Amino acid sequence: MSVDTSDVSRETLVRPIGQLSKQYLALMAAALGAIGIWAFFYLQQLQHGLIVTNLADWGSGGGVPWGLYIGAFIWWVGIAHGGIILSAAVRLLGMDRYQPVARLAELLTIAALTCAGLFILIHVGRPDRLVTSVLPAWPTRVQWSPLMWDVTVITAYFVLTATYLLLTIRYDIHRLRDRLPHQLEPVYAVLMLGYSEREDAIVERMVWWIAFAIIIMAPLLLHGGVIPWLFALLPSMAGWAGGVQGPSFLSIALTSAVSGIIIVAAAFRRAYGWEELIPVEVFQGLGKWLGFFGLIFLWLQLQQVITGIFAAPTTLQHATEVKIATPLYWVAIGLVLLAMLYVFACSLRPSLFRIPVLVALSFGVLVGTLVEKVLFVVEGLQHAHFQLYDGVPGVYVPSPVELSALLGTVGIVVLFFLVVSKVIPVVELHAIESAHEEVDDA
Amino acid sequence: MNPTALPATLAALLPLAAGGGGGGGGGHSLPFVGPGTYLIFGIVLAPVYLMVVAWYVGEPSDRSKAWLGVGYLVGLTTVLWGSLFVATMAIDVLFF
Repeated sequence: MSVDTSDVSRETLVRPIGQLSKQYLALMAAALGAIGIWAFFYLQQLQHGLIVTNLADWGSGGGVPWGLYIGAFIWWVGIAHGGIILSAAVRLLGMDRYQPVARLAELLTIAALTCAGLFILIHVGRPDRLVTSVLPAWPTRVQWSPLMWDVTVITAYFVLTATYLLLTIRYDIHRLRDRLPHQLEPVYAVLMLGYSEREDAIVERMVWWIAFAIIIMAPLLLHGGVIPWLFALLPSMAGWAGGVQGPSFLSIALTSAVSGIIIVAAAFRRAYGWEELIPVEVFQGLGKWLGFFGLIFLWLQLQQVITGIFAAPTTLQHATEVKIATPLYWVAIGLVLLAMLYVFACSLRPSLFRIPVLVALSFGVLVGTLVEKVLFVVEGLQHAHFQLYDGVPGVYVPSPVELSALLGTVGIVVLFFLVVSKVIPVVELHAIESAHEEVDDA
Repeated sequence: MNPTALPATLAALLPLAAGGGGGGGGGHSLPFVGPGTYLIFGIVLAPVYLMVVAWYVGEPSDRSKAWLGVGYLVGLTTVLWGSLFVATMAIDVLFF
């Protein structure tokens, strides 16, 4: 089912490009401030090493060398995968209702994937290690190391998503060029290299195939495959191995990605008066997907808890018991449950539906999924299938350095949207063309 | 498909199950020959190969647009790792 946006004018699409408000500048200052705070702490890490995070060795933080950095990596990469799955589904499955938010989802993917990559870069301590250790070792280690598989497929995935965007943007820029800022003409000239209207049908078919590759790679092989394999290949950590992790990771990715798209779409809708361009039906639909993915998320958590405490191997049982005794875990579960219950309540009584409530619950889901991922990483390390680190003192608490990186990456995503929305239309022209039929340039 | 092809593929993946993983290559020392290589380049990235082939064949298609797509794939990969290389070398010089 699609929503009727055919009355929306092209001026509406380019509204973010032409307007500059105080709120925009304030948000940009906030984003730059967040990045600045992170830069301040990161410089300390560069100067003194990972010791400033307590992640440097086994001797501090209760034997936890991976913490918020890796939890946030999985979280961002999950948002990225889920974002493009939605966009690709619009193209492959004809889910035209979501056309107004498809490009926002693609942009979220690019921004979130960048942040995921940054967390890997940060976590190796000295950033030059990523190049000096990964590049020379890659040809031989790719045979065995899930980390190299990870680097390979995330690179491929980033490149696919960017290619998708670069190919689809040509159609829009050609038709909206007279409404775009003249100062950016060199940028558009590069993006439009060799463009002719004859290519539209050809490019449409090419991006269908990119969507096809993405829809197979992202859910089945990346977040439901390579990322959980990264952990499963370290089976000495309780709860990291097991076939349920793939689906579990995927459910968390989809839940958090839909939340992210809801927040971004609502922000643009509010900022630019896009009530007609992104109608309430889009949010109702996204809400239902959030509820559905939330249900699967909760079911897979139940799977892990039950199989972890019912006659499980001893260390897994202990790790699971610790998990379900951790109040923060139940906060995470509760936040996802709350969103799911609200969506289901709205299905029964549609008058309950409010976009601001859905946005607030989406923020809750993002917090919940991040908490779950960080606990997954940390508790796996704390309850290893050996006693070597039992005597390691301390408990893991995210350091200000790690927390600043989370703040900084959120700032990067906000800044990315602020900048990109001034350069290209963040909603596809197809969203206001009924059934993808081209309308007159007049 | 050659009936012997499937068992051969499975045989290639068997070292994964044999626990060779962390153990240093099970005799494979040259690039592109281990089971992880088959897994990533043979299975995980297969949809990408299919996509690129489909760009060149089928209708409607156009060789120059297919090359544009391949150019984006190759160019972006190069820019991504090339710029990372330059940036990290700069950090190496500045901080260490």
